[in-house]
Amino acid sequence: MKKLYFVMALVIVASMILTACGASAPTEADCSKAEVFCVGLVSDVGKVNDKSFNQSAWEGVQKSKTDGVADVVQFIETADAKDYAKNIGTFADAGYDVIVTVGFGLGEATVAAAATYPNVKFIGVDQFQAAETPGVTGLNFPEDQAGFLVGALGAMMSKSHKIGAVCGTDVVPPVWRYGEGYKAGAAYADGLNGTTTEVFVVYHSDVGFDKTFTDPEWGAQTAKSMMDQGADAVFGCGGLTGNGAITAAAQAGAFAIGVDADQFLTLPEAASRMLSSAMKLITPGVADLIAAAKDGSIKAGNFNGKAGYAPYHDLDSSVPAEVKTAMEKINTGLLDGSVTTGVAPAKP
Amino acid sequence: MQSEKQSNSPIKKLLQSISDASLVPFLAILTAVVIGGIIIKLVGGDPFLAYKGLLQGAFGSKKALSETAVWATPYIFAGLAVALAFKGGLFNIGAEGQLAVGAVFSALIGYALPEWLGFDLPVYIHLPLAIFVGMLTGGIWAGIVGALKAYTGGHEVINTIMMNYIALNTTSFLLNGIMKDRSPTNVIARTPLIAESARMPEIFDGLRIHWGFVLALLVAFFIWWLLNKTTLGFEIRTVGLNPDAAQYAGINVKRTIILTMMLSGALAGLAGSIEVTGLNYRHELGFSIGYGYDAIAIALLGKSHPLGIVLAAFLFAAMRNGATRMQFLTQLPVDLISMIQALILLFVAADAIVRYIYRIKSKGERVVLTRGWGG
Repeated sequence: MKKLYFVMALVIVASMILTACGASAPTEADCSKAEVFCVGLVSDVGKVNDKSFNQSAWEGVQKSKTDGVADVVQFIETADAKDYAKNIGTFADAGYDVIVTVGFGLGEATVAAAATYPNVKFIGVDQFQAAETPGVTGLNFPEDQAGFLVGALGAMMSKSHKIGAVCGTDVVPPVWRYGEGYKAGAAYADGLNGTTTEVFVVYHSDVGFDKTFTDPEWGAQTAKSMMDQGADAVFGCGGLTGNGAITAAAQAGAFAIGVDADQFLTLPEAASRMLSSAMKLITPGVADLIAAAKDGSIKAGNFNGKAGYAPYHDLDSSVPAEVKTAMEKINTGLLDGSVTTGVAPAKP
Repeated sequence: MQSEKQSNSPIKKLLQSISDASLVPFLAILTAVVIGGIIIKLVGGDPFLAYKGLLQGAFGSKKALSETAVWATPYIFAGLAVALAFKGGLFNIGAEGQLAVGAVFSALIGYALPEWLGFDLPVYIHLPLAIFVGMLTGGIWAGIVGALKAYTGGHEVINTIMMNYIALNTTSFLLNGIMKDRSPTNVIARTPLIAESARMPEIFDGLRIHWGFVLALLVAFFIWWLLNKTTLGFEIRTVGLNPDAAQYAGINVKRTIILTMMLSGALAGLAGSIEVTGLNYRHELGFSIGYGYDAIAIALLGKSHPLGIVLAAFLFAAMRNGATRMQFLTQLPVDLISMIQALILLFVAADAIVRYIYRIKSKGERVVLTRGWGG
């Protein structure tokens, strides 16, 4: 009997706690109604607080809510690649109007879902659309402009007038655009200031796809040899390979320049020497596309987002005011089209 | 009267043994769910909405049921793999690696064989062949560990873990290298799609549940039959309980150890091939990560009994599958699901806790998981 009492007591206590706390269930807005505009985000395998793509995209979705564009925003974090279709379907079946899928990995699942759910608008972050699919808009970024910005910054900040970039293989068009944009940006800064900056850009094209983005040792070695030749700013573009170069540069006391997201936040070992990062502005890009989806102006195919550069963070005090002003001018120029990078979309 | 009560009918006996065996797991689940609910509350969520989402997501519609079955399929195979090894007194931590090996080779046969031969194969040859090669390679991979155990005494726990590293890194190397999908827009480490003739047909239009699920149930029955109704099964169990006695009774212990590992690896490899031929139609890094480790949990929860494993696999599948809808409704982190799973396991593995909480007396023999060094 003692046993039975104990079980009953446990159940009663538990249910009391649960009911007492569970009183305030949120009111479920009905996304199937036309007047309720709902946006769902499916992350790639990863979390919405990853300080990188997933988080930036989720912030864009949240921005659309604070801007009054979306009424309901929700996310689903993918735990396993085989759930891509199901996670997208969970939003679509609930009558969501826009579904944001983050990362190249979801590309195929997104295109497939567009056929199943023709009434839903899909926004694929970093999903280049080789062919146009009705309902799918790929959000891509002008990497050449991002590289251009940090190239100009590196050239203006370099004391030795020698700067370097360590990149993955130039066969991948975005990598090529980063690297060539970097060169063009340095040349542009030289034109402004009457300096001559030597730019070393090395692509890790001598190895296969299995190695080119995952070779931090090679990245570090290459960065060191650039610094031996006098470079005092190193841009790392190419996954772990680039991170290796960035970390090596930071350890040697040179300026480190990150890529894609604000790597001050994601690469703590290099943070103290992180001058800036060549950024894809995912947050505004996602928010803009959601707004376009609501007013009906969104188009299938590829949408070009904006590039930018990250804050100077710890090095803010060592960046002269005239460099900051020049950077803002270049950025405005790139945005309004008065400054162009002259970089081809892919290696010819 | 007394004697009549003792000689119960076999059906009653069966029911009695099922309820005995399932009491502790059931209470473990219940306790974990209650504690999980309290934790959900503590992090600011609504436990009722969360569990409602979990149930709806796992069982709430045809689609949900189909997805739960899709998740359960590899869990059943891999859980059986670990359980079979348990029965033989071996702790196969290598299901993860064996599964990956099976998946890679199934995919290879699936996409490359028609190219090598220069002609298309009919489905009734190509599909079974792809599945068989996955089983065979998984079996060989585990058989190496079995042989090391039998002939050198090298402990299978260490060796299967090491073999996991080799398998997973080799898989990564192959999928990034010679087996990588060469289509121009692809940057993902994955194989090309397998040929139509190596794919399992759908059961229902529009749902992802596939014949692999039916096969999993059949294989579970087969393993039960193998273990309980055949000489080999008797040998496996005897070696598992006491290898010295088995040796004395004239059982070839070395042969049985190797065979047990091979069968176990073949089941894990089968889990991988079914994922390739039934669901994904290719292998990709990131597919199937962690199934081999979940399988250990499933085998423990199912008390190494095939029926128990099917049920435990369903529980894990339902939790994994329902997690999506739970997050959709509550925006809680999916990690909570892993946490509840871990709690269930904790209570099942350390059943003394559950027995203590609910004042249940222990009876019957303990499950032999693995023997010590050089056992």
